[in-house]
Amino acid sequence: MSTQTLLPESFAALEPYVAGWARNGSAARAGRRGNSTAEEREAFYAAVAGELPRALDYLDAKGFAALDDADQRLMNMMLCLGHVALAVEQQNDAEPRHARDRAHMHITHTPAGA
Amino acid sequence: MNSPTTFTPVGQDELDWLGTDPVPTKPYYDPAWFELEREAVFRRSWQQVGHVCELPEQGSFIRRELEVLGASLLIVRGKDGEVCAFHNVCTHRGTQLVDEAAGKRSTFSCPYHMWTFGLDGGLISAPDFESFHVTKAECALPQLACEVVGGLIFVHFGKPESSLREWLGPYANKLEMMPVARATTFSEYVYDIDANWKLTYDNFQENYHLRFIHPSAAGPSTSPDNPFAYPTAYDFHGPHRSQRIWTKPDMAPPTGVQAVAFQRGAICAMADGILGAETAKDYIGLFPNFFVFGSPMQHFSHTVYPIAADKSRGVIRLYWIGEDETPSERFAREYFMAVARDVHTEDRAVIERGHKGLASGALEYLHFQTQESLCRHLFNMVSEKVEAYRAELTGRAEQEGARA
Ligand code: FES
Ligand SMILES: [Fe+2]
Repeated sequence: MSTQTLLPESFAALEPYVAGWARNGSAARAGRRGNSTAEEREAFYAAVAGELPRALDYLDAKGFAALDDADQRLMNMMLCLGHVALAVEQQNDAEPRHARDRAHMHITHTPAGA
Repeated sequence: MNSPTTFTPVGQDELDWLGTDPVPTKPYYDPAWFELEREAVFRRSWQQVGHVCELPEQGSFIRRELEVLGASLLIVRGKDGEVCAFHNVCTHRGTQLVDEAAGKRSTFSCPYHMWTFGLDGGLISAPDFESFHVTKAECALPQLACEVVGGLIFVHFGKPESSLREWLGPYANKLEMMPVARATTFSEYVYDIDANWKLTYDNFQENYHLRFIHPSAAGPSTSPDNPFAYPTAYDFHGPHRSQRIWTKPDMAPPTGVQAVAFQRGAICAMADGILGAETAKDYIGLFPNFFVFGSPMQHFSHTVYPIAADKSRGVIRLYWIGEDETPSERFAREYFMAVARDVHTEDRAVIERGHKGLASGALEYLHFQTQESLCRHLFNMVSEKVEAYRAELTGRAEQEGARA
């Protein structure tokens, strides 16, 4: 394929967040939440959370076997959003301290690939 | 909105048999007591070490380190499909046979002098074996009793007094009914902690701390008539125990990303036929150091491995049925793992503080209330076994003294 798009066309608006958040591996995604600033998390969450249902519907319709690189980046970005949402929706002000304590919990195995 | 009154706590009268005395602190940090536990508790109990989904094929193996008994185990699915456990120790001169954490092999060869063992632990070949003064049959890998219930693999280092199933009693059937029995994969996270294994384990068998330590997770699950989210029932069988988790009837619906995860996760759990299972609210604690919670969306087990009197390792697994079938399922599973990890993060931090305080020796006793009865039960069971073992040691010493 010759297209250089980072994300599937209908999600092009989210491309600025690929470099920061479309991470491979559950531990790397959890780690990204841990080493992000509150401003980074809030900006990412504000831009992407509303697109989560549409992104999952789009990816489900394609199925894992048909996902190309752009689709996979979208998947990884949404998986990372799951981690970040816990900081934004649940931990709020407790997140910095929580992140320090959380570093002791090592993700070693996931069906998605740890 | 008024919460409907739905909760009646378990009464103390039902738990009086466990006693109400203050509990001595020493067993929670004393190295000498820990030395006794190694033998009295861990060498004499079935211990959970893995799950059959880690051994999908003939020749699949896992290596497990059990520091409490200084052991390395090799757990193998043999040619007959049975799961067997061996000491990961070459019978020539004791070298650790397998280095990888997991894999698949048809034989195991020791790197030192190339003794080679089969999946059944038998010695197949050894270079220049004619120069030895022993038969191959005498050189099989030392085997441990190993049994499976509910997909969970247990080993016993000594001579088990009863089969695993007998030992578990009614909890064996409950485990078989839980998703773990059908699990094919899992999410896992692991933590090391500077705390005694009982202090670590106890944290997870009382709800008294929830609203203080987990304000964001526990807030929605408490109500005016059950402000501490206490369970609705306790149950005991031999050294094991269980509780039935209470859920708030009028819980506010989730919002945002959490709501998406719940919706997508519920669809997957429904497809796997585990939504509304009879065991969905059961928390089962198996002596000495394992528990599993039946919740279909967050079905997790937790094993607390003792390392030393003041060190343990927690291994948490969320068990799943089938690989991620859809991106939605992948999303929900990763989200629920992260939720559980957040909660356990909060626990870990406070448990270490508990150990520090007790290990200072400042307190002779600690206190368990009615709704910390599962902690009291663990203490009772451990001290019963340690005292019995001590009496055995004394008896043995006296016999030897009489003989001398
Ligand atoms: S110690 Fe294993 S072959 Fe010699
Ligand atoms: Fe907790």
